[in-house]
Amino acid sequence: MIELSDVSKTFRGTDAPAVGRLSLNVGVGETVVLVGPSGCGKTTTLKMINRLIEPTSGTIVIDGQSVTDVPAHELRRSIGYVIQQIGLFPHRTIRQNIATVPGLLGWEKWRVADRIDELADLVDINPDMLDRYPSELSGGERQRIGVARALAADPPVLLMDEPFGAVDPIVRARLQEGLLSLQERLHKTIVLVTHDIDEAILLGDRVAILNVGGHLEQYDTPAEILRSPASPFVADFLGTDRGIKRLSLIPIRDIELEHGPVVSADAGSEEIEQVMAASGVDWIAVGSDGQLDGWVPREDVRAAGSLTGVALRPFETTLDISDSLKEALDAVVSSHTSVAAVFEEGRYLGMLSIDTISEEIVQ
Amino acid sequence: MIEFFAEVADWFTDPSNWQGIDGIPNRMWEHVQMTALSTGFAALIAIPPAIILAHRRIGGVLVVAGVNIARAVPSFAIVAIALPITIRLGLGLGFWPTFLALLFLAVPPMFSNTYAGITGVDPALVESARGMGLTERQTMTRIEVPVALPVIIAGLRIATVQVIATATLGALVAWGGLGRYIIDGFATQDIPEVFAGGILVALLAITAELAFNIFERAVTPAGQRYEERIGTAR
Amino acid sequence: MTLIAQAASGWFRWDWITNNADAIWDRTLEHVYLTALAVGIGLIISLVLSVVSLKWRPTYQPITWVTGILYTIPSLALFAFLVPVTGLSVLTAEIGLVSYTLLILIRNIVTGIDAVPADVLESAAGMGYTQGRRFWDIELPIAVPVIITGIRIATVTVIGLVTVTSLIGLGGLGFFILRGLQNFSSPIGTTQIFIGTILSVVLAVAADVSLAGIQRWLTPWANRGVAE
Repeated sequence: MIELSDVSKTFRGTDAPAVGRLSLNVGVGETVVLVGPSGCGKTTTLKMINRLIEPTSGTIVIDGQSVTDVPAHELRRSIGYVIQQIGLFPHRTIRQNIATVPGLLGWEKWRVADRIDELADLVDINPDMLDRYPSELSGGERQRIGVARALAADPPVLLMDEPFGAVDPIVRARLQEGLLSLQERLHKTIVLVTHDIDEAILLGDRVAILNVGGHLEQYDTPAEILRSPASPFVADFLGTDRGIKRLSLIPIRDIELEHGPVVSADAGSEEIEQVMAASGVDWIAVGSDGQLDGWVPREDVRAAGSLTGVALRPFETTLDISDSLKEALDAVVSSHTSVAAVFEEGRYLGMLSIDTISEEIVQ
Repeated sequence: MIEFFAEVADWFTDPSNWQGIDGIPNRMWEHVQMTALSTGFAALIAIPPAIILAHRRIGGVLVVAGVNIARAVPSFAIVAIALPITIRLGLGLGFWPTFLALLFLAVPPMFSNTYAGITGVDPALVESARGMGLTERQTMTRIEVPVALPVIIAGLRIATVQVIATATLGALVAWGGLGRYIIDGFATQDIPEVFAGGILVALLAITAELAFNIFERAVTPAGQRYEERIGTAR
Repeated sequence: MTLIAQAASGWFRWDWITNNADAIWDRTLEHVYLTALAVGIGLIISLVLSVVSLKWRPTYQPITWVTGILYTIPSLALFAFLVPVTGLSVLTAEIGLVSYTLLILIRNIVTGIDAVPADVLESAAGMGYTQGRRFWDIELPIAVPVIITGIRIATVTVIGLVTVTSLIGLGGLGFFILRGLQNFSSPIGTTQIFIGTILSVVLAVAADVSLAGIQRWLTPWANRGVAE
């Protein structure tokens, strides 16, 4: 969908190029994240796609057409653009802000009104926000309006420059989730710039790791990059918790769960000892098919001789099958039992221990 | 046109225009003296209270309102009203109505600029000064006033130029100064004199403005330039 | 009651006001006319010069310099320069009055446009606004509050200066102030000075308040509270 070929940019007055001969392809409906340290040219590259910055050399082609074929302002009306500070027009209502590009393109009033209703639904905007002014909205609300405004004319391509950088972490997480679910419905081609590797891993179908001067160090899916970084620079950039980052990409759904040391409430002490020894743990879980009632430490069982009348302890942290292995690891590490119990809509499915989890990374 | 400028030149080269009460040196001196007196006293009246009130953050709303009202009164009117007042007070014509009018005129810009300058000092500076143990007075004299100085001087500049301008109207209340040439010239239809008077007044005003500008720049610490957002009052 | 009336008549002559109501009204109209003309023309010239300054930055300094000098020259002196050329006429008065508005208006227009946030400009460009359209649709409307503040200051200033034009045969309400000075010893004179002054102030305050109201009407967005 978007092809960058040998694109370079050297700013006037400097010797070293901000971006030096970068080639990159973005597929239709793909979310590509450009990430790297400051000075790596990620924002410069993004801005060359919609010609806010003109390349010194090289070509950029969108959907088969070179970006220089049409006047810059026309090009930009077909590309959605979201920046960190958003830049909502303070003198226009939210409704008027969103309607900007459709207005520039000359849409009829009824079409614009319909579109705004659609967008309000899509991006989860409260309808009575529409007639307010930007100064009356909170940061998170403004960000969502910025995205709605960029999508107003239904452009195939969306460019985003650190779009979630200016809000606090809680709002940011919500916005990231919002973007992911939006993409599931819309399948836009998105190029997003961020300095946050975690955000890149979360949002990107493919991630381009750039070094200073626009040098492309690695361009692959997040899982691949985490599994085998192409250079020491990439490994460094990914951080020392690379393994744990990988875990966040693997849903529990994808791996085989252990049955775990579970016995029914009427089990005999011999069976209990066998199961505990087989799993190598010093506690026993009590439950039946699809149900987990709790666990009992070995001392309590031995003292009582059986499970009758023994107080059951609940599993404090339970996981859903849609959670990632990273959450599982957190649960395992912080529980008494050193396992995580996995459920799907209340039905007990199995357990994860530290061994099962680390097997996934080592593969 | 050319003859007209020749007549103006003649007026300037006429020796009789350089002597006596109505001579250029005397009228210039009168004008400068009156300006200095009125702005000097205005500064004494306006600046210290402004510093103190601004430091204590009292009366901000009143200051803004007061300045707006003062700006709405034409300076011509102030000079004119001064006359019946000074007559009733037995102070007569000439010097007193002019002086009092100019005094009244100069106080608002000086007060408002000083107030704005002091309140515009970075609160962090004031807080750290207090934190270091400076007394309130020391904070004012060693921190707030020096930092606000360019703005205060700007207020002096605005007031002075305004006074120089309005002092020209003093001729209407039987005072002297450079305005004499313009007013008398109109009265006697001696237009070259009117023009010459205009040149002298304009030169004085521009000189004062430039001098103050240089002074302002000199007291502005390097790297700090205060942009006047509010239009200069006239 | 009669005592106060008698004392007051030493200062004030109400009958003079009622007798001359027509003249007072005429002069008020003249005052408004001279002011509106000056501010209107000044605004047009200032807009043009502001656009020039904004497009070619190096011109801002010289433009500020020239309008600054015009502003510094005392009004009486400026009229003194103009009279030999344009006589005792409305033209003379208007040239002088317009000159005083230029510095204030140009500075406020340029400052107002400069104050438009960078992210607003960038997002406008990114959405496909041409530079020209962006100026009219985005930058200018956002700068309106600052520009109207400039217009307010210019208007009040001009209302004051119109009184000085009484010396070249016009004056609006300044006509009465000048007459009053010429009759300074009589209560009629005092009355004239007072009426000229008070009505000038009323005019200035009315203009200021009206313009403030217009600004609030034009920019509902500038008065709304901030959410965070």
